Formats: sequence, structure tokens, C-alpha cells
Amino acid sequence: MTTMLGCDSTAAVAERIREARATGTTLRLVGAGGWLDAGRPCPAEHRVELRPLAGVTEYEAGDLTLTARAGTTLSEIERATAPEGQWLTLDPFGSADGTIGATVATASHGPLSSSYGTPRDHLLGCESVSGTGDVIRSGGRVVKNVAGFDLPRLMCGAWGTLGVLTEITVRLRARPEVDRTLVVALRDESAGACADAWRWLRASPFTPLAAELLSASIARRLGLGERAVLALRLGGNEALVRSAERTVAELGDVRTVAGSLWDDLRRSEPSGSVVIRLGALPADIGSLWAAAGTLAERAGGFAHSTLGRGVVRCVVPIAELEEDNGRLWGIIGQLQAAGSRIFERLPSSLWSGIPSPASDPISRGVRRAFDPDHLLNPGILGESA
Amino acid sequence: VSVPPPTPLPHAPKLTGRAPRDDPALARQLAAIVGDRRVLRRPGELRSYESDGLPGYQQRPSLAVFPGTRDETIAVVRLLADWGVPFVPRGAGTGLSGGALADDVVLLGLHRLSRIISVDADNARAVVEPGVVNSTLTRAVAPFGLHYAPDPSSQTACTIGGNVAENAGGPHCLKYGVTVNHVLAATVLLPSGEVVSLGNAAGESDGYDLLGAFVGSEGCFGVALDVTVSLARLPEAVRTLLADFTTVLDAAEAVSAIIASGILPAALELMDAATIQAVEASIYAAGYPVDAAAILLIELDGAAAGLDDDAARVERFCLDARARGVRVAADATERAKLWQGRKKAFGAMGRMSSHLVVQDAVVPRTRLPEILAEIERIGAAHGVSVCNVFHAGDGNLHPNIAYDASNADEARRVHDAMSQVMEACIAAGGTITGEHGVGLDKLPYMDRLFSPATLDAMCALRSVFDPDRRANPGKVVPVHSCREWHAAPSTRHA
Repeated sequence: MTTMLGCDSTAAVAERIREARATGTTLRLVGAGGWLDAGRPCPAEHRVELRPLAGVTEYEAGDLTLTARAGTTLSEIERATAPEGQWLTLDPFGSADGTIGATVATASHGPLSSSYGTPRDHLLGCESVSGTGDVIRSGGRVVKNVAGFDLPRLMCGAWGTLGVLTEITVRLRARPEVDRTLVVALRDESAGACADAWRWLRASPFTPLAAELLSASIARRLGLGERAVLALRLGGNEALVRSAERTVAELGDVRTVAGSLWDDLRRSEPSGSVVIRLGALPADIGSLWAAAGTLAERAGGFAHSTLGRGVVRCVVPIAELEEDNGRLWGIIGQLQAAGSRIFERLPSSLWSGIPSPASDPISRGVRRAFDPDHLLNPGILGESA
Repeated sequence: VSVPPPTPLPHAPKLTGRAPRDDPALARQLAAIVGDRRVLRRPGELRSYESDGLPGYQQRPSLAVFPGTRDETIAVVRLLADWGVPFVPRGAGTGLSGGALADDVVLLGLHRLSRIISVDADNARAVVEPGVVNSTLTRAVAPFGLHYAPDPSSQTACTIGGNVAENAGGPHCLKYGVTVNHVLAATVLLPSGEVVSLGNAAGESDGYDLLGAFVGSEGCFGVALDVTVSLARLPEAVRTLLADFTTVLDAAEAVSAIIASGILPAALELMDAATIQAVEASIYAAGYPVDAAAILLIELDGAAAGLDDDAARVERFCLDARARGVRVAADATERAKLWQGRKKAFGAMGRMSSHLVVQDAVVPRTRLPEILAEIERIGAAHGVSVCNVFHAGDGNLHPNIAYDASNADEARRVHDAMSQVMEACIAAGGTITGEHGVGLDKLPYMDRLFSPATLDAMCALRSVFDPDRRANPGKVVPVHSCREWHAAPSTRHA
């Protein structure tokens, strides 16, 4: 039976970990609890609830940096920064009710990563508690910092296995003067249409805040018509955005839509989906897009692509697959990519076939150094002790 | 990542009464790999390698070895591992924190590995060897409409390998990001001689961000054999503005206003009167107003549309902060001249005295005005003259003092003043280095900045990459703060 251990301070987290270490108890780290089906099954004995560890602890708008406790939700950060005309440019899929701790721990990102990068590009410093109960504070509150080895980047994407994140300092951006969303209907879902969109993006003199290809199925669900679209988020001053709009027209039929499209897209994944993220060199994105789109649609799902990053995300509801693992494997097997294939969500029965990204000697050594007893989120990276 | 099993403890050949690094047999074996001319042992030959960009420090390596190929580099590092000999990697030796100083250990020079292995213009990336000079890469990719964005002031000499080791910055990092934001993958030679690949050049990375940890590890985690970097597009248009102020604080106020406005300049640099005068008295004279208390060099780039609107707003922020005037570079020649003055400012100051200490502290941007006032006060109290030339948009200060290191009293006053400057920056919520690295120079401040548990975690991380702690020994983390290093080898984490 899992015990819930609520933690509302760094000291409480350290105390829980020291107790766990003394008794050899493993811990599952939980933020808002919205992403617990992401990553591998994690058979830990106790849950450490970090949502109570919330609140913005330091925010000086003129510095464009913010420090918050790890259980603070992205929407709480948005509420704190919006009055200053600033924002944290991380929009991971799921919802804004996810915590900053989980966003950093899982290195989750969304369409804005096209221009602003991923959590590793936003993280300036953090406090964490290691698997030995030691409180580690690294990085800082300044936007440029090379003092000491880069422990924050190591924590980013470690899924809590190198320490429980308790406080996080991130870089903010000023909101652009104009923030406009356009959709361009593409002629079809082919590799060629995708490649055309990519070439246009690469040649255009401005960088959209986001440039996301949406398959016809998700475009339809979001009320954007019957065809695949390129959704663009343009930011900057009025003259820049107006000029950008004119160039976009070269791509096809353009229309302006409400910016709520981006939140709708983030929330569009049915719970219990299989989510696979494929990566390739951006110039090779076309064939990946076509394959992912076809398979996702056939399985009742959808695909979308952060074009400039060379990433295609494929979302398939498990229910549609009638728990037919053989067929599911067939679909997954066909989703190959030259660059990378990352499983965000899979039915637990399928994980055993997926190699761990943390099984090499250096990763194992890092884990031993920070969590020698494998107490924190054991198994979540598929690693063995 | 793929790594063969961890290294066994060093099995040095039988010693002959000499430290193994001084053993003539080691030199002979190294020469067998790289050729006689590429192993230096005589004091006269080693003189050029006794210092790097940090003034006032001299340390003589026991020998220096310069492999010319990847295979030679691997063979050299494996031989050093067999001998259990510590080594210090070095690129161009332009580092400003003493990171490439080798005190009676082997110096591993990597500047001969200078091939640009490939350029993929479509995907805006290049694969380079570590000895490629920063500005050489930018020149090589310019025909494709691309450039390598991080631009340290030493870019005409410093190498990409050194940039990766230090996580180097530069003026244009305000908009484009520092080195770590531009490195996609690296093939890394661990101190044990094993070769691992970190990051993913063709897709996304999964698992621990070992590449992120390697960038900025100051040569303590091994050396890069090749680095895949992302390239940025050359902007469609550029506007370079020079704003001229009668007080440094007014200039700092303009910086705050620009940053808060949401306009993100490519670069936003501040130079004070002492710096302006040094530059204008040198061959790098850029036409800066010599009677100004401070100037801001502001560059805006990107799409042509809207750029003039942003430039007009920036000009307005400067005038609102009481700038005497704002000049816009008329053409590329004038722009290059304005930038040359900034990039060669350290060289210009070097003319004033035999030594120049360049500091690299960072403060939150809102604290700039008060910290500049404090630096001035500290300089006056110690009877030294501090020049400020720095990345104002990032809050990354470079207080510099020209002095004569052979004058013991002056050297002591300079040292004391700089220590107080660092303390003031830490107290303001800042840090001790933004882009130059800790090296040797900033070791004394690490205890002030980080807790024992944090320093211990850094030591533990280093031990994963280099269990024998032979790569750039004694740098970055003070040895006394590493709990585990006091333990017997058998109890080490790694």
C-alpha cells in the first residue's frame, strides 16, 4: 500500500529522503499528478507529494528571472508574470496545471520551443535534494553563469532520479508587443507539403515564436478545417508581424485565428494515449511527417511537428487499438526515425522492450553519485541498479 | 551514449625515482606517437606554455605534447592513462581564468586538430575538430548565409574546443545564447582514453543531459575530439547604435529600460570613460566620444521589417536616460569599426601597463547601477583604476585593472580590490564568472558561492568522468571541499 508523504519545505523533503534511506524505502515523486502515465512504470513504495511545495519566492521583473518552489504550477507563474508583461516561454503538452518542477524534471516542452528552446535553455539554477538527503543549490539567479560544473542541466530531464527538485530559477521573456496566430491550410499531408513548409520557414527572414504542423485529424478537432495546417505564432512589433503575414501568404490560404489555439492543442491529448516523439535532421522531416501522419490517422490519433526542431509527435489513443498489443507494436515498429525515437507514453506492458537511455556507464555512474540506493523514482528511466 | 567499462586504477610503469611525468621514457613514447617535434621538454621551449590569458601566473608544464590527428590524440591520452599521468588540455591559451595553466604536469595542446569536418548548410550545423578557431568557422560558413553565434572577444584566436570547455559567451550571446545553447553533440575522449558520444546530432537526446554537463567542464571531464554545433542564419538586417552618456548610471538606466521593453538586442555593451580613452588612444580607435562617461554599443538584428521601429524605441530609451546623443552606424564599415573598438578593448588596455586583470562577475540586471558605484568606490579605496567594459544586457561585468605585477604593493592592492568586487557581486545575488570559467583564478570564491554539499556533488560528478582525477587537476572545485576525495579509492562513488 502506497503511503502519501506531503512535503511543504525543502527540509521536509530532505527529512523524508533520509527516513527512506534509513528504511530502504523507494519514493515516487509527484507534482500535480497530471503526467504520472508518462515515462516508465515506477513501482515505488511511497509517494512524495510536492504540490504543497509551491509559491513564487523571488521575482524581480527588471531582471527577467523568477524563482519558484518546485510545486508551483505553470499557470501560477503565468499569473505572477502577466501583470509585468512577461512570461515563462515553456508550454509543455498537457496543461498549465503541471508544475514547474515536473516540467524541468521531464524536460517537457511544446510549440514555443521552436524559438525559445527547451527547459535546459530556461533553467538558470535549482535547489534539489539528492538521494542521500543532501541539499544541493547550483546555478544561480543571473542569466549567465559558468561557476562550477553544470548541475542544473544534469537535473533537467533526469526525471527526479538525481534529486528531488525543490526550487527552480528560470529566465523569463518580455511578451511581444504583438502576438498573432495564423493558420495556413496545406495542400495535403504529404512529405512534399511538409518539406515546402520547412523550406519556407528556413528561408524567411523572421523567426516565428512557434511553427507547428498539425495533421488534418487534429486540425479538424480544433476547428481549423479539413486539411493539415501550419499553425504560426508571430511575435514582435506591428511592422514585423504585418510583413511576416504577407510572406506567409506565399504558402497558401491564410487566416488569423485566436491565440487560444495553442492551449487547445496542449490539452488535446486524450488521457491514455500512446505518445511517440520522432526526431530527424530538419531537412529530412518530410518523410517522417508523412509516415507518422498516416499511421496516427489510421489508428485514430494525430500527429504534429515542431518543424524547425525536426520533431514529429505522434499521438494514438490506446482504446482505439482494442488492447491489441501486436497491432500497436506493428504501428510503433513502423515509426522509425533516423535521429531519435522517444516514447513519452506507452502502455506499461510495452516498456520492457524499450532500451533505457540511462544504461551506459557514465549515466549509471551519475546515478550512483546522486542517488546511490536508487530510492528516487526507481525504474522510471528503465535503468537497473 | 556508449561507453566501455570504467578504467582500472592507473598502472604506471615502475618509477625510476622521477615523477612519471618527467620520465624521459614517457617523452620518447609520446614522440613515437606524434613525432619528435611535437613533444617539448626543454624549459626554453616550454616558455610559451607557461601562462594563458590570466596575467601574473606562470606555471611550467613538465612537458607539452601536440597531437595532430584524432587518432594521435586518443593514443596520447591512452598512454598518459597507462602512465597515470595528469594532463591539462589547452586550445589557443586565450582563457582568462588560468584554466590552461599546467603546473608540472603534461600539457595537451589541441590546436592542431583544426579541421572543419563538415558543414550541413541545409540543417544549419557543422562538425568541427576542437582546434578550429571560432572566427574561422564563422568565415567558412558565411557563404551559406550562416554564422557561429557565440563570439568571445578573443574569437580570432580562441578555439571551439576551448569555447566548449569554458562554455564561452560573447557580446552577441544576449540574443543568441552561449556555447551550450549551440552544441548539439560531441565525441568525447575521456581521461581514461575511452571514446564516448554525447548528445544527438540528428535528433533529440534522451536520458541525462551529459552533453550539457560536459560543456563548461573546463577540461576536467575529458577533451572533445569533434563537436557538432548549430549555426545561426545571418540576419537580414542589422542596426548598430552608439549612445553617449555623461554618467555610467544613466547608461545603466538605459540598459534596464531596453531590457524591460521586450526588445531583445543582439548585443548591448557598456564601456566606461577609462575604457573609451584606452581604445581611442590605441590603433583600434573607433571614433568613440572621448569625453563621455559611458557609451552603450547596441546592436539590433533580424528581419528588416520593423527593425527601424525597434531602433527608434531604443534611441528613445537612451535619450530618456539622458544620453547626449545616439548615433547609428551608417554602413558595414562603420559598424565593424565600432565593434573593433569593443572587441579589442582588452588589447587597448594592455598597452597602458604590463599586466591586465580581467574579471567576469555577473549580477542581476537591476543591480547594475549600484554595483558599478560600488566598484568605483572599491577602486578608489585601493588606489587602483578600474575600467569597465561589459555585456550590460546580461549583467555580465568585466571590471579590469591595468597594473604592473612586478610591483608587489600594486599587485596586492589590485588583488584586494578584485576580491572585494567579487564579494560585492556575490552579495548582490550574482556570481563569480559568467563566461570565463573558474579555472584557478576563481577557486577561492567557490566556497563563498556554494555549500559543501553542492561542491561535493560537483566533485562526485567529476569523478564519474575522471575517476583518477587526472584531467586538469586542481581546477574548478577546491580540492579541500571534496569529501569523497578524502576517502580511500575503494569507497569512491565511481
